[in-house]
Amino acid sequence: MTKMLTNKPFMHIQFSHINKSYCKKRCGFFIKKSQAKVIFNDANIVLKGGQCVLLTGSNGSGKSTLLRIIAGILKPDCATITTGSKSLSWKKANKLIRQQVMYLYQEPYMFDGSVTRNLEYALNGKKFSSHSVNQITRALKWANLEHRADTSAKCLSGGERQRVALAQAWLKQPSVLLLDEPTANMDKASRQATEALLLKFKERGTALLIASHDVKHFHQTMDKQLLLENGHIFEIGDKTNNISLFPHSSKRQA
Amino acid sequence: MGSLLTTTLEAISLLFSGDAELWSIIGISFRISTTAILIAMIPAILLGFTLAYANFPGRRIFISIFNSLLAVPAVVVGLTLYIVLSRQGPLGEWKLLFSQTAMVLGQIALSFPILVAMSHTAFQSAEIRAWDTARTLAKNPLSAFFIIMREVRFGLFGALLAAYGRIIAEVGASMMLGGNILNSTRNIPTAIAMETSKGEFAQGIALGIILVSMAFFLTMSLQYMQGRGKISND
Repeated sequence: MTKMLTNKPFMHIQFSHINKSYCKKRCGFFIKKSQAKVIFNDANIVLKGGQCVLLTGSNGSGKSTLLRIIAGILKPDCATITTGSKSLSWKKANKLIRQQVMYLYQEPYMFDGSVTRNLEYALNGKKFSSHSVNQITRALKWANLEHRADTSAKCLSGGERQRVALAQAWLKQPSVLLLDEPTANMDKASRQATEALLLKFKERGTALLIASHDVKHFHQTMDKQLLLENGHIFEIGDKTNNISLFPHSSKRQA
Repeated sequence: MGSLLTTTLEAISLLFSGDAELWSIIGISFRISTTAILIAMIPAILLGFTLAYANFPGRRIFISIFNSLLAVPAVVVGLTLYIVLSRQGPLGEWKLLFSQTAMVLGQIALSFPILVAMSHTAFQSAEIRAWDTARTLAKNPLSAFFIIMREVRFGLFGALLAAYGRIIAEVGASMMLGGNILNSTRNIPTAIAMETSKGEFAQGIALGIILVSMAFFLTMSLQYMQGRGKISND
Protein backbone atom coordinates (compact mmCIF):
# COMPACT_ATOMS: atom_id res chain seq x y z
CA MET A 1 0.00 0.00 0.00
CA THR A 2 2.86 2.34 0.86
CA LYS A 3 4.48 1.66 -2.51
CA MET A 4 1.28 2.58 -4.30
CA LEU A 5 1.11 5.85 -2.42
CA THR A 6 4.74 6.81 -2.96
CA ASN A 7 4.36 7.23 -6.71
CA LYS A 8 1.56 9.69 -6.33
CA PRO A 9 2.06 13.19 -4.88
CA PHE A 10 -0.59 14.03 -2.35
CA MET A 11 -2.55 17.25 -2.13
CA HIS A 12 -3.51 16.81 1.49
CA ILE A 13 -1.73 15.23 4.43
CA GLN A 14 -2.79 15.12 8.02
CA PHE A 15 -0.60 14.28 10.99
CA SER A 16 -2.78 13.47 13.97
CA HIS A 17 -2.33 12.31 17.55
CA ILE A 18 1.34 13.25 17.56
CA ASN A 19 2.85 12.41 20.91
CA LYS A 20 6.46 12.90 21.80
CA SER A 21 8.25 13.03 25.10
CA TYR A 22 11.82 12.71 26.25
CA CYS A 23 12.42 10.59 29.32
CA LYS A 24 16.00 9.41 28.89
CA LYS A 25 19.07 11.11 30.17
CA ARG A 26 22.60 10.14 29.15
CA CYS A 27 24.92 9.57 32.05
CA GLY A 28 28.41 8.72 30.74
CA PHE A 29 28.14 5.33 29.04
CA PHE A 30 24.73 4.62 30.48
CA ILE A 31 21.25 5.89 29.72
CA LYS A 32 19.02 6.36 32.72
CA LYS A 33 15.35 7.18 32.77
CA SER A 34 14.34 10.53 34.17
CA GLN A 35 11.05 12.38 34.50
CA ALA A 36 9.37 12.62 31.08
CA LYS A 37 9.36 16.00 29.37
CA VAL A 38 6.31 16.19 27.14
CA ILE A 39 6.98 17.89 23.80
CA PHE A 40 3.71 17.04 22.01
CA ASN A 41 0.52 15.88 23.59
CA ASP A 42 -1.99 14.71 20.97
CA ALA A 43 -0.98 17.44 18.50
CA ASN A 44 -2.65 17.61 15.06
CA ILE A 45 -1.68 19.40 11.87
CA VAL A 46 -3.10 19.43 8.35
CA LEU A 47 -1.07 20.47 5.31
CA LYS A 48 -2.70 21.17 1.95
CA GLY A 49 -1.13 21.59 -1.47
CA GLY A 50 -0.56 25.24 -2.40
CA GLN A 51 -1.08 26.39 1.17
CA CYS A 52 1.55 28.00 3.37
CA VAL A 53 1.31 27.39 7.10
CA LEU A 54 3.42 29.43 9.48
CA LEU A 55 4.31 27.70 12.72
CA THR A 56 5.21 29.99 15.57
CA GLY A 57 6.04 29.45 19.21
CA SER A 58 8.55 30.43 21.82
CA ASN A 59 12.09 29.05 21.88
CA GLY A 60 12.10 25.42 22.94
CA SER A 61 8.40 24.95 22.23
CA GLY A 62 9.19 22.14 19.76
CA LYS A 63 8.86 23.78 16.34
CA SER A 64 11.97 22.14 14.93
CA THR A 65 11.07 18.84 16.61
CA LEU A 66 7.64 18.90 14.93
CA LEU A 67 9.25 19.59 11.55
CA ARG A 68 11.71 16.72 12.05
CA ILE A 69 8.85 14.35 12.94
CA ILE A 70 6.85 15.39 9.87
CA ALA A 71 9.99 14.96 7.73
CA GLY A 72 10.40 11.38 9.00
CA ILE A 73 13.77 12.14 10.61
CA LEU A 74 12.65 11.92 14.24
CA LYS A 75 10.44 9.14 15.50
CA PRO A 76 7.42 10.22 17.57
CA ASP A 77 6.05 8.10 20.42
CA CYS A 78 2.97 7.73 18.27
CA ALA A 79 1.36 9.52 15.33
CA THR A 80 -1.11 8.77 12.55
CA ILE A 81 -0.63 10.00 9.02
CA THR A 82 -3.62 10.36 6.70
CA THR A 83 -3.36 11.04 2.98
CA GLY A 84 -6.66 10.98 1.12
CA SER A 85 -8.63 8.14 2.66
CA LYS A 86 -5.57 6.13 3.77
CA SER A 87 -4.44 6.19 7.40
CA LEU A 88 -1.03 4.85 8.28
CA SER A 89 1.12 4.75 11.38
CA TRP A 90 4.26 6.93 11.35
CA LYS A 91 6.45 3.84 10.93
CA LYS A 92 4.52 2.49 7.95
CA ALA A 93 4.28 5.91 6.32
CA ASN A 94 7.98 6.66 6.78
CA LYS A 95 8.98 5.64 3.25
CA LEU A 96 6.17 7.73 1.79
CA ILE A 97 7.15 10.69 3.97
CA ARG A 98 10.81 10.43 2.99
CA GLN A 99 9.89 10.66 -0.69
CA GLN A 100 7.19 13.29 -0.53
CA VAL A 101 8.33 15.57 2.29
CA MET A 102 11.48 17.67 2.20
CA TYR A 103 12.99 19.39 5.21
CA LEU A 104 15.31 22.38 4.93
CA TYR A 105 17.49 23.32 7.88
CA GLN A 106 17.90 26.86 9.11
CA GLU A 107 21.44 26.66 7.76
CA PRO A 108 21.17 24.16 4.89
CA TYR A 109 24.03 21.69 4.68
CA MET A 110 26.07 22.05 1.52
CA PHE A 111 28.04 19.06 0.29
CA ASP A 112 31.63 19.31 -0.86
CA GLY A 113 31.70 20.39 -4.50
CA SER A 114 30.15 23.01 -6.73
CA VAL A 115 26.60 24.35 -6.58
CA THR A 116 25.84 22.27 -9.69
CA ARG A 117 27.11 19.12 -7.94
CA ASN A 118 24.83 19.86 -4.97
CA LEU A 119 21.86 20.21 -7.30
CA GLU A 120 22.73 16.91 -9.01
CA TYR A 121 22.12 15.09 -5.73
CA ALA A 122 18.45 16.09 -5.93
CA LEU A 123 18.06 14.31 -9.28
CA ASN A 124 18.08 10.79 -7.83
CA GLY A 125 21.05 9.54 -9.85
CA LYS A 126 19.68 10.73 -13.21
CA LYS A 127 22.32 13.42 -13.45
CA PHE A 128 23.98 12.28 -16.67
CA SER A 129 21.08 12.70 -19.11
CA SER A 130 20.74 15.85 -21.22
CA HIS A 131 17.30 16.35 -19.68
CA SER A 132 18.92 16.50 -16.23
CA VAL A 133 21.49 19.04 -17.40
CA ASN A 134 18.62 21.21 -18.66
CA GLN A 135 16.79 20.78 -15.36
CA ILE A 136 19.85 21.92 -13.40
CA THR A 137 20.33 24.91 -15.69
CA ARG A 138 16.70 25.87 -15.19
CA ALA A 139 16.93 25.38 -11.42
CA LEU A 140 20.01 27.62 -11.29
CA LYS A 141 18.18 30.28 -13.28
CA TRP A 142 15.06 29.85 -11.14
CA ALA A 143 17.03 30.48 -7.94
CA ASN A 144 19.12 33.26 -9.57
CA LEU A 145 22.31 31.27 -9.01
CA GLU A 146 23.58 30.99 -12.60
CA HIS A 147 26.69 33.03 -11.77
CA ARG A 148 27.44 30.69 -8.85
CA ALA A 149 27.06 27.39 -10.75
CA ASP A 150 30.73 26.41 -10.48
CA THR A 151 31.43 27.97 -7.09
CA SER A 152 32.12 25.68 -4.16
CA ALA A 153 28.80 25.41 -2.28
CA LYS A 154 30.61 25.57 1.07
CA CYS A 155 31.76 29.14 0.23
CA LEU A 156 28.25 30.53 -0.26
CA SER A 157 26.57 33.04 2.04
CA GLY A 158 23.61 32.03 4.22
CA GLY A 159 21.10 33.49 1.76
CA GLU A 160 22.71 31.76 -1.22
CA ARG A 161 22.80 28.44 0.64
CA GLN A 162 19.10 28.76 1.33
CA ARG A 163 18.50 29.42 -2.39
CA VAL A 164 20.57 26.34 -3.33
CA ALA A 165 18.48 24.28 -0.91
CA LEU A 166 15.29 25.70 -2.43
CA ALA A 167 16.61 24.91 -5.92
CA GLN A 168 17.22 21.32 -4.75
CA ALA A 169 13.63 21.22 -3.54
CA TRP A 170 12.52 22.64 -6.89
CA LEU A 171 14.23 19.73 -8.65
CA LYS A 172 13.05 17.14 -6.14
CA GLN A 173 9.43 18.37 -6.34
CA PRO A 174 8.21 17.26 -2.91
CA SER A 175 4.53 17.48 -2.02
CA VAL A 176 5.41 19.11 1.30
CA LEU A 177 8.28 21.48 1.98
CA LEU A 178 9.29 22.13 5.58
CA LEU A 179 11.45 25.14 6.36
CA ASP A 180 13.09 25.84 9.68
CA GLU A 181 13.68 29.58 10.15
CA PRO A 182 14.42 30.08 6.44
CA THR A 183 15.11 33.82 6.71
CA ALA A 184 17.01 33.91 10.01
CA ASN A 185 20.10 36.16 9.93
CA MET A 186 19.35 37.35 6.38
CA ASP A 187 19.44 40.87 5.03
CA LYS A 188 16.38 42.39 3.42
CA ALA A 189 17.36 41.52 -0.17
CA SER A 190 18.05 37.84 0.64
CA ARG A 191 14.82 37.64 2.63
CA GLN A 192 12.80 39.01 -0.25
CA ALA A 193 14.52 36.65 -2.70
CA THR A 194 13.72 33.67 -0.44
CA GLU A 195 10.11 34.74 -0.01
CA ALA A 196 9.73 35.16 -3.79
CA LEU A 197 10.93 31.57 -4.27
CA LEU A 198 8.52 30.32 -1.60
CA LEU A 199 5.64 31.96 -3.48
CA LYS A 200 6.69 30.00 -6.58
CA PHE A 201 6.41 26.77 -4.61
CA LYS A 202 2.92 27.75 -3.56
CA GLU A 203 1.97 28.43 -7.17
CA ARG A 204 3.26 24.99 -8.06
CA GLY A 205 0.95 23.41 -5.48
CA THR A 206 3.51 22.49 -2.84
CA ALA A 207 2.34 22.54 0.78
CA LEU A 208 4.65 24.76 2.84
CA LEU A 209 5.19 24.60 6.58
CA ILE A 210 7.50 27.31 7.89
CA ALA A 211 8.73 27.43 11.48
CA SER A 212 9.73 31.00 12.23
CA HIS A 213 9.67 33.83 14.71
CA ASP A 214 9.62 36.42 11.95
CA VAL A 215 5.87 36.52 11.42
CA LYS A 216 5.93 39.80 9.52
CA HIS A 217 8.39 38.49 6.94
CA PHE A 218 5.94 35.87 5.70
CA HIS A 219 2.92 38.08 5.53
CA GLN A 220 2.60 37.68 1.75
CA THR A 221 3.26 33.94 1.70
CA MET A 222 1.32 32.81 4.77
CA ASP A 223 -2.22 31.41 4.56
CA LYS A 224 -2.57 30.16 8.10
CA GLN A 225 -0.73 30.75 11.35
CA LEU A 226 -0.33 28.12 14.03
CA LEU A 227 0.96 28.49 17.55
CA LEU A 228 2.79 25.69 19.28
CA GLU A 229 2.35 25.93 23.02
CA ASN A 230 2.56 23.36 25.83
CA GLY A 231 2.61 20.45 23.38
CA HIS A 232 -0.54 21.54 21.54
CA ILE A 233 -0.99 23.26 18.19
CA PHE A 234 -3.47 26.14 18.04
CA GLU A 235 -4.72 27.89 14.91
CA ILE A 236 -4.43 31.56 15.74
CA GLY A 237 -4.75 33.41 12.49
CA ASP A 238 -5.03 33.40 8.74
CA LYS A 239 -4.53 35.77 5.86
CA THR A 240 -7.77 37.58 6.60
CA ASN A 241 -7.70 38.02 10.37
CA ASN A 242 -4.02 38.88 10.29
CA ILE A 243 -1.66 37.98 13.09
CA SER A 244 -2.93 40.11 15.94
CA LEU A 245 -4.02 37.08 17.95
CA PHE A 246 -0.43 36.08 18.49
CA PRO A 247 0.73 37.83 21.67
CA HIS A 248 4.47 37.51 21.01
CA SER A 249 4.20 39.17 17.61
CA SER A 250 2.08 41.97 19.06
CA LYS A 251 4.81 42.66 21.56
CA ARG A 252 7.41 42.59 18.82
CA GLN A 253 5.41 44.98 16.68
CA ALA A 254 5.03 47.37 19.59
CA MET B 1 79.31 5.80 7.27
CA GLY B 2 81.17 4.40 4.29
CA SER B 3 79.83 0.96 5.08
CA LEU B 4 76.24 2.28 5.23
CA LEU B 5 76.64 4.03 1.87
CA THR B 6 78.14 0.91 0.29
CA THR B 7 75.31 -1.26 1.65
CA THR B 8 72.66 1.21 0.45
CA LEU B 9 74.19 1.27 -3.07
CA GLU B 10 74.30 -2.51 -3.00
CA ALA B 11 70.61 -2.55 -1.96
CA ILE B 12 69.64 -0.22 -4.84
CA SER B 13 71.54 -2.35 -7.37
CA LEU B 14 69.81 -5.43 -5.91
CA LEU B 15 66.43 -3.79 -6.52
CA PHE B 16 67.22 -2.91 -10.13
CA SER B 17 68.91 -6.25 -10.89
CA GLY B 18 65.48 -7.93 -10.82
CA ASP B 19 66.49 -10.39 -8.09
CA ALA B 20 63.77 -13.08 -8.20
CA GLU B 21 63.80 -13.80 -4.46
CA LEU B 22 63.56 -10.13 -3.52
CA TRP B 23 60.67 -9.43 -5.91
CA SER B 24 58.86 -12.59 -4.80
CA ILE B 25 58.96 -11.29 -1.20
CA ILE B 26 57.65 -7.90 -2.36
CA GLY B 27 54.87 -9.55 -4.40
CA ILE B 28 53.75 -11.77 -1.50
CA SER B 29 53.74 -8.80 0.86
CA PHE B 30 51.55 -6.62 -1.35
CA ARG B 31 49.23 -9.49 -2.33
CA ILE B 32 48.51 -10.47 1.29
CA SER B 33 48.06 -6.92 2.59
CA THR B 34 45.90 -5.83 -0.37
CA THR B 35 43.66 -8.91 0.03
CA ALA B 36 43.30 -8.23 3.77
CA ILE B 37 42.37 -4.57 3.23
CA LEU B 38 39.89 -5.39 0.47
CA ILE B 39 38.13 -7.94 2.68
CA ALA B 40 38.10 -5.75 5.81
CA MET B 41 37.22 -2.47 4.07
CA ILE B 42 33.50 -2.83 3.32
CA PRO B 43 32.29 -4.28 6.67
CA ALA B 44 34.55 -1.89 8.61
CA ILE B 45 33.28 1.20 6.78
CA LEU B 46 29.67 0.07 7.23
CA LEU B 47 30.31 -0.48 10.94
CA GLY B 48 32.02 2.93 11.23
CA PHE B 49 29.01 4.51 9.51
CA THR B 50 26.55 2.70 11.82
CA LEU B 51 28.48 3.78 14.91
CA ALA B 52 28.48 7.37 13.67
CA TYR B 53 24.81 7.78 12.77
CA ALA B 54 22.71 4.97 14.26
CA ASN B 55 21.37 5.18 17.77
CA PHE B 56 21.34 1.87 19.61
CA PRO B 57 22.10 0.69 23.15
CA GLY B 58 25.79 0.08 23.77
CA ARG B 59 26.94 2.26 20.87
CA ARG B 60 29.44 4.16 23.00
CA ILE B 61 30.81 0.94 24.44
CA PHE B 62 31.39 -0.40 20.91
CA ILE B 63 33.24 2.81 19.98
CA SER B 64 35.44 2.51 23.07
CA ILE B 65 36.19 -1.15 22.31
CA PHE B 66 37.32 -0.37 18.75
CA ASN B 67 39.40 2.58 19.94
CA SER B 68 41.06 0.33 22.54
CA LEU B 69 41.78 -2.35 19.93
CA LEU B 70 43.97 0.18 18.08
CA ALA B 71 46.56 -0.23 20.79
CA VAL B 72 46.68 -4.05 20.75
CA PRO B 73 50.19 -5.18 19.65
CA ALA B 74 50.49 -7.24 16.47
CA VAL B 75 52.14 -10.10 18.39
CA VAL B 76 49.11 -10.41 20.66
CA VAL B 77 46.83 -10.64 17.59
CA GLY B 78 49.28 -13.16 16.12
CA LEU B 79 49.34 -15.18 19.33
CA THR B 80 45.54 -15.26 19.62
CA LEU B 81 45.10 -16.42 16.03
CA TYR B 82 47.99 -18.89 16.43
CA ILE B 83 46.11 -20.54 19.32
CA VAL B 84 42.87 -20.58 17.31
CA LEU B 85 44.51 -21.98 14.15
CA SER B 86 47.01 -24.37 15.77
CA ARG B 87 46.32 -28.09 15.62
CA GLN B 88 44.76 -28.15 19.10
CA GLY B 89 42.81 -24.94 18.48
CA PRO B 90 39.12 -24.65 17.52
CA LEU B 91 39.98 -24.14 13.82
CA GLY B 92 42.95 -26.53 13.80
CA GLU B 93 41.24 -28.90 11.35
CA TRP B 94 41.34 -26.24 8.65
CA LYS B 95 45.17 -26.51 8.61
CA LEU B 96 45.62 -22.81 7.93
CA LEU B 97 48.63 -22.14 10.14
CA PHE B 98 51.81 -21.11 8.27
CA SER B 99 49.85 -20.23 5.14
CA GLN B 100 49.08 -16.99 3.33
CA THR B 101 45.42 -17.37 4.40
CA ALA B 102 46.49 -17.27 8.06
CA MET B 103 48.52 -14.14 7.34
CA VAL B 104 45.52 -12.54 5.62
CA LEU B 105 43.36 -13.38 8.65
CA GLY B 106 45.93 -11.82 10.97
CA GLN B 107 46.13 -8.67 8.88
CA ILE B 108 42.33 -8.42 8.70
CA ALA B 109 42.24 -8.61 12.52
CA LEU B 110 44.86 -5.86 12.71
CA SER B 111 43.35 -3.52 10.10
CA PHE B 112 39.68 -3.90 11.08
CA PRO B 113 39.76 -1.78 14.29
CA ILE B 114 41.80 0.93 12.54
CA LEU B 115 39.33 1.08 9.67
CA VAL B 116 36.30 1.10 12.01
CA ALA B 117 37.68 3.74 14.39
CA MET B 118 38.97 6.05 11.65
CA SER B 119 35.94 5.71 9.36
CA HIS B 120 33.71 6.37 12.38
CA THR B 121 35.65 9.59 13.02
CA ALA B 122 35.42 10.50 9.32
CA PHE B 123 31.64 9.99 9.24
CA GLN B 124 31.20 11.90 12.48
CA SER B 125 33.10 14.84 11.02
CA ALA B 126 30.31 15.27 8.47
CA GLU B 127 27.76 15.90 11.27
CA ILE B 128 24.23 14.51 11.42
CA ARG B 129 22.81 17.35 9.25
CA ALA B 130 24.77 15.94 6.30
CA TRP B 131 23.14 12.52 6.70
CA ASP B 132 19.66 14.03 7.12
CA THR B 133 20.17 16.18 4.02
CA ALA B 134 21.47 13.21 2.03
CA ARG B 135 18.43 11.16 3.12
CA THR B 136 16.12 13.99 2.07
CA LEU B 137 17.73 14.30 -1.36
CA ALA B 138 18.46 10.67 -2.22
CA LYS B 139 15.84 8.22 -3.42
CA ASN B 140 16.91 5.48 -0.99
CA PRO B 141 19.28 4.96 1.99
CA LEU B 142 21.95 3.37 -0.24
CA SER B 143 22.15 6.45 -2.50
CA ALA B 144 22.33 8.63 0.63
CA PHE B 145 25.17 6.44 1.93
CA PHE B 146 27.15 7.02 -1.28
CA ILE B 147 26.59 10.79 -1.02
CA ILE B 148 28.02 10.70 2.52
CA MET B 149 30.88 8.42 1.41
CA ARG B 150 31.87 11.05 -1.15
CA GLU B 151 31.57 13.78 1.48
CA VAL B 152 34.01 12.06 3.85
CA ARG B 153 36.19 10.45 1.17
CA PHE B 154 39.45 12.01 2.38
CA GLY B 155 38.88 10.70 5.91
CA LEU B 156 38.11 7.26 4.49
CA PHE B 157 41.22 7.29 2.26
CA GLY B 158 43.20 8.30 5.33
CA ALA B 159 41.75 5.31 7.21
CA LEU B 160 42.67 2.96 4.35
CA LEU B 161 46.21 4.33 4.18
CA ALA B 162 46.73 4.09 7.94
CA ALA B 163 45.43 0.51 8.00
CA TYR B 164 47.48 -0.50 4.94
CA GLY B 165 50.60 1.09 6.39
CA ARG B 166 50.10 -0.76 9.66
CA ILE B 167 49.60 -4.23 8.17
CA ILE B 168 52.21 -4.15 5.42
CA ALA B 169 54.90 -3.18 7.93
CA GLU B 170 53.91 -5.42 10.86
CA VAL B 171 56.21 -8.29 11.70
CA GLY B 172 54.75 -9.97 14.81
CA ALA B 173 51.55 -11.52 13.43
CA SER B 174 53.12 -12.34 10.03
CA MET B 175 56.03 -14.17 11.66
CA MET B 176 53.79 -16.19 14.01
CA LEU B 177 51.04 -17.03 11.52
CA GLY B 178 53.08 -17.30 8.32
CA GLY B 179 56.29 -18.82 9.60
CA ASN B 180 58.54 -16.87 7.19
CA ILE B 181 58.63 -19.60 4.49
CA LEU B 182 60.48 -18.52 1.33
CA ASN B 183 58.26 -18.03 -1.74
CA SER B 184 55.19 -18.73 0.36
CA THR B 185 54.82 -16.65 3.51
CA ARG B 186 57.98 -14.55 3.62
CA ASN B 187 56.92 -10.92 3.32
CA ILE B 188 58.86 -7.64 3.54
CA PRO B 189 58.94 -7.15 7.36
CA THR B 190 59.73 -10.81 8.17
CA ALA B 191 62.47 -10.83 5.51
CA ILE B 192 63.97 -7.60 6.90
CA ALA B 193 63.99 -9.08 10.43
CA MET B 194 65.61 -12.31 9.20
CA GLU B 195 68.24 -10.69 6.95
CA THR B 196 69.19 -8.23 9.69
CA SER B 197 69.66 -11.09 12.20
CA LYS B 198 71.95 -12.76 9.63
CA GLY B 199 73.95 -9.55 9.16
CA GLU B 200 72.81 -9.25 5.49
CA PHE B 201 71.85 -5.61 5.49
CA ALA B 202 71.69 -5.04 1.71
CA GLN B 203 68.46 -6.98 1.15
CA GLY B 204 66.95 -5.50 4.33
CA ILE B 205 67.70 -1.98 3.14
CA ALA B 206 66.36 -2.76 -0.36
CA LEU B 207 63.07 -3.95 1.17
CA GLY B 208 63.06 -0.94 3.51
CA ILE B 209 63.39 1.34 0.47
CA ILE B 210 60.30 -0.33 -1.02
CA LEU B 211 58.29 0.24 2.19
CA VAL B 212 59.38 3.87 2.54
CA SER B 213 58.70 4.54 -1.18
CA MET B 214 55.24 3.01 -0.86
CA ALA B 215 54.46 5.14 2.22
CA PHE B 216 55.68 8.25 0.38
CA PHE B 217 53.67 7.42 -2.76
CA LEU B 218 50.43 6.75 -0.83
CA THR B 219 50.79 9.90 1.27
CA MET B 220 51.51 12.00 -1.83
CA SER B 221 48.47 10.48 -3.58
CA LEU B 222 46.24 11.43 -0.65
CA GLN B 223 47.64 14.96 -0.54
CA TYR B 224 47.13 15.31 -4.29
CA MET B 225 43.50 14.20 -3.98
CA GLN B 226 42.94 16.56 -1.03
CA GLY B 227 44.47 19.37 -3.06
CA ARG B 228 42.09 18.71 -5.94
CA GLY B 229 39.12 18.66 -3.59
CA LYS B 230 39.96 21.76 -1.59
CA ILE B 231 37.53 24.62 -1.39
CA SER B 232 38.13 27.43 -3.84
CA ASN B 233 37.15 30.97 -2.97
CA ASP B 234 35.71 31.79 -6.34
